[in-house]
Amino acid sequence: MFCEQLLGVIPRLRRYARSLVFDRHAADDLVQTALERALAHWHQFDQRRDILVWAIGIAHNAHLDERRRHARSARVEPDAPGRDDDPGANHPAVSPDIGLQLDLARALGRLPLEQRETLLLVTLEQFSYAECAEALRIPIGTVMSRVSRARVALRALLDGGSAGDGQGAAPPQGATLRRVV
Amino acid sequence: MNAALDDALLSAWIDGELTPEQRAEVEAWLREHPDDAARVRAWGADARALRAALDGVLDEPVPAALAQTVWRRPPTASARFIEGSSTWRRAAAVLAVFVLGGAVGAALMGRLQRPPSVATTTATTPAPGGAWVQRAAVAHSVYVPEVRHPVEVRAQEEHLSRWLTRRCNVPVKLFDLRAQGFELVGGRLLPDASGPSAQLMYQAIAPGVTGDVSGGRAATAAQPARVTVYLRKPDDATPAAFRYERRGELGLFYWVEGKSASGGPIGYALVGALPREQLLALAEAIYRQEAEPPSSQGTGKETGKEAGKEVGKETRK
Repeated sequence: MFCEQLLGVIPRLRRYARSLVFDRHAADDLVQTALERALAHWHQFDQRRDILVWAIGIAHNAHLDERRRHARSARVEPDAPGRDDDPGANHPAVSPDIGLQLDLARALGRLPLEQRETLLLVTLEQFSYAECAEALRIPIGTVMSRVSRARVALRALLDGGSAGDGQGAAPPQGATLRRVV
Repeated sequence: MNAALDDALLSAWIDGELTPEQRAEVEAWLREHPDDAARVRAWGADARALRAALDGVLDEPVPAALAQTVWRRPPTASARFIEGSSTWRRAAAVLAVFVLGGAVGAALMGRLQRPPSVATTTATTPAPGGAWVQRAAVAHSVYVPEVRHPVEVRAQEEHLSRWLTRRCNVPVKLFDLRAQGFELVGGRLLPDASGPSAQLMYQAIAPGVTGDVSGGRAATAAQPARVTVYLRKPDDATPAAFRYERRGELGLFYWVEGKSASGGPIGYALVGALPREQLLALAEAIYRQEAEPPSSQGTGKETGKEAGKEVGKETRK
């Protein structure tokens, strides 16, 4: 039962991982780590809960651990390039509009991790704020403010800079839509 | 309300996270503030672009290494069971499962009216069909919870059978399982070690028959039970035995037709989270329809390969 449920969420774990680390192999490594941890802790899983929310919470923690390890090794070798420096460079998602994908991936990569992650769970996985809060172990109010800050920042990055200044300076609607449709 | 509306409120409005009162307030605000309305539209468009950029990952075949990670380490077999049992109790459990398997196997042979033969697979030797049967089980688990893309080609499309037949190099029949309460959803082409294979998906017609799909977020609680038929050109060495195997919640019947009605040998695996008897009824129907006109092939072997999986039942709801 548990194995089948876990198998069923692999595609969505892979998408989530890809949106975090962009590189296909690094993302699958992350999924692998998350699956192993899930199997090791299967007895902690409450069958009444959504296994995707649970598994994504595990992947989230695995990713944080990975970054911490990475940060430590980066201190030892200051020249080591950060994996997140230019995520657009190896963004694997297939799309007819490469230019837009690179823009999006770069903008996404520049968001602080906690904003990016929260935005992705809500928009991509379509988690409710409550589910998102459960997976990331943060209060619902924090989810709400992170998502809105992420949206504002992402739009500002896609508009070419000047973060946080959306209010009076919204671009003409046509221009905005042309970028994304 | 004169002050600018909080961005968090506008953003939560997109996500449908507001109370009816808040929603009404935001909607009134957006009607009077076209700038904010444009910003909210742009956020919505960004969300769609994100989905468009990353949805492709969902359709990629799951790397075998990831699926193997899950199959290789059945969680139920590892921790509690082994720790809590002495060696002889484990041996007794394995023996009991084996004996039970033999009894069930004998019952199956009777129902299938095939010449009896001895079950050759014990709990410790892997079934000869192991690798491809595993792929059939993985393919089942990956696609059955899908709501949006359960199949590549829907059952209604006439070319389904022709397409799969041509690509798999084995005659792919669309079995009619309506008498058993299942209708065809459609099919898809899958990679297998030795070439393409086909997966046909069937779904329960009666609303009462629901599979246990509580785990898949993509699946709604009321999703009807689904079974899949996995077909492939078999390896030369594969024996034409009729076998049953259980992997956790999933039951599998698999067999190889040496000479099918319409051509060369075909390997079949029927997979579903159904009780054994129900799965057997479906397997029999497929076997009968496949064998029209009846094939000369007729050895029956079953196996009760359940050791280690048996404890899985403890964890089920």
